[in-house]
Amino acid sequence: MQNAKDSFYMALRTRLTGINPERTTLVRGALRPGILVEEAEAPFSQLPNDVFVLRWLGLGVDLDLGSAMAAAECEILYQTCGTQSFGGLDRGRALSAMDEELVAMLQPFHIPKLNYAATPPAAMLTQVFWDEPAIGPLVAQRDRLSRSAKVMVYSYQEQGE
Amino acid sequence: MTTNWFSAPAPVARRVRGYFAPVNRVTQTPVLFDASEEGTFSLDAPPAPWISLGWIQGLTRKSVSKASPLLTGIPASTLEQVRETLEAQVSFQFLSWTKLTMALATGSQHMNLLAPATGAAAAALGAQATPAVVAQGGSTASSIALASADAAKFTAGSMVALDADYTGQTGFVGSPVAGAYVRTALTDVDYIRRITFNVALVSQVSSTGLTLAQPLLGGIPATGAKVQAVTGFVDREGGSFYQEWSALFVMEGSQGERIFFHYPRLQTLAGAEETVSPLDGKHQNGQARVMLKGQFLALPVTDPLDGERVVCYRSFLPAANALV
Repeated sequence: MQNAKDSFYMALRTRLTGINPERTTLVRGALRPGILVEEAEAPFSQLPNDVFVLRWLGLGVDLDLGSAMAAAECEILYQTCGTQSFGGLDRGRALSAMDEELVAMLQPFHIPKLNYAATPPAAMLTQVFWDEPAIGPLVAQRDRLSRSAKVMVYSYQEQGE
Repeated sequence: MTTNWFSAPAPVARRVRGYFAPVNRVTQTPVLFDASEEGTFSLDAPPAPWISLGWIQGLTRKSVSKASPLLTGIPASTLEQVRETLEAQVSFQFLSWTKLTMALATGSQHMNLLAPATGAAAAALGAQATPAVVAQGGSTASSIALASADAAKFTAGSMVALDADYTGQTGFVGSPVAGAYVRTALTDVDYIRRITFNVALVSQVSSTGLTLAQPLLGGIPATGAKVQAVTGFVDREGGSFYQEWSALFVMEGSQGERIFFHYPRLQTLAGAEETVSPLDGKHQNGQARVMLKGQFLALPVTDPLDGERVVCYRSFLPAANALV
């Protein structure tokens, strides 16, 4: 499932760059698109603002098929306090912007599977695909607004996986 | 050795896309779809003359063909099977209300409500209409050239119908889509514009004519075609006309494979019916989506390859690298 998880993340990262190139984050001195995989970064004491964070949750496998199908649940978390220039009064608009970016990033609902352990990444034979996100309610904590969405990501296991 | 194939399980698809093309009712010629030539088309840009009707919901295909055993011996046992009747039915819900989806989902002819003339007496199918204006030469499928005085009669955001005057003809009327069958000559000069599928939204009006937001189904207007404002659409329960269209349904799988269901001849089977679907499952009495329900009977064509009579073709284009 690792190739599917990598492909999913890289697809969203590439799409985000096209949707909103200004959404970036500084990670270990490098400026990157504003989307991270939680398990691939140093532990957060608190999730960063204005960045999408992917958290992998449940995993299921259907072995009764010609090719085994794996399904991994991905939770996408994001939060914002708005901008300093507006004293945070634009935090609702900032979260709405992230909502729209999230929905746009997830379309279309499939991407070719690549093996990112190889350099350059090697194209595999199947597609990674997913369904519409289940978007959670807005959570307000003082001046911080946050939300999460869950997406079930599917992939067929190929030889060697 | 690295394999370059995989064993593909059953396709996983999210939704079904529907496309329709007009059957030439006079010559009884359907539109055929060849998956080998056209199967990889962009779902948003189908090959002509197919018209995309967007996503559809609840597609149900049912074969109601009947077979009977040919019995022999004592006690009798089945020697062969013979096909007694050939019939199939299709039903689904359209996720949009347009001229074409309404027409397909009604059991009879579908009409345009022409803008009424001032003081005209009310009529269920639309009152006497505001007089039509002549489309000038140089019109295209997406722009209608008009005299400046005529162009001033329309506004951006309005709808128009464009077609010829009715001059007493009988039989199938409307081209390229037959919108009605006239048994005895009528007196309404606007009748063809009432049943025409050449309707569009006006996006811009200038002193030289109208720019349309969508191309006319009939393409470039014929010489002498006239334009009238349309306020909406109407259909009836009853009547003797049946809509008949060629249909194509496409399911695209998660691995890029495609399943096509091609019905060369589909006729509406039932009268107009709607399906209501609440937007919020927890609030059954709240806002609800009203969907047009289409129910169709598949009619046979004779396959020129071997002379067999068939009602549907199912084609499958496997995913790349999938074992077959």
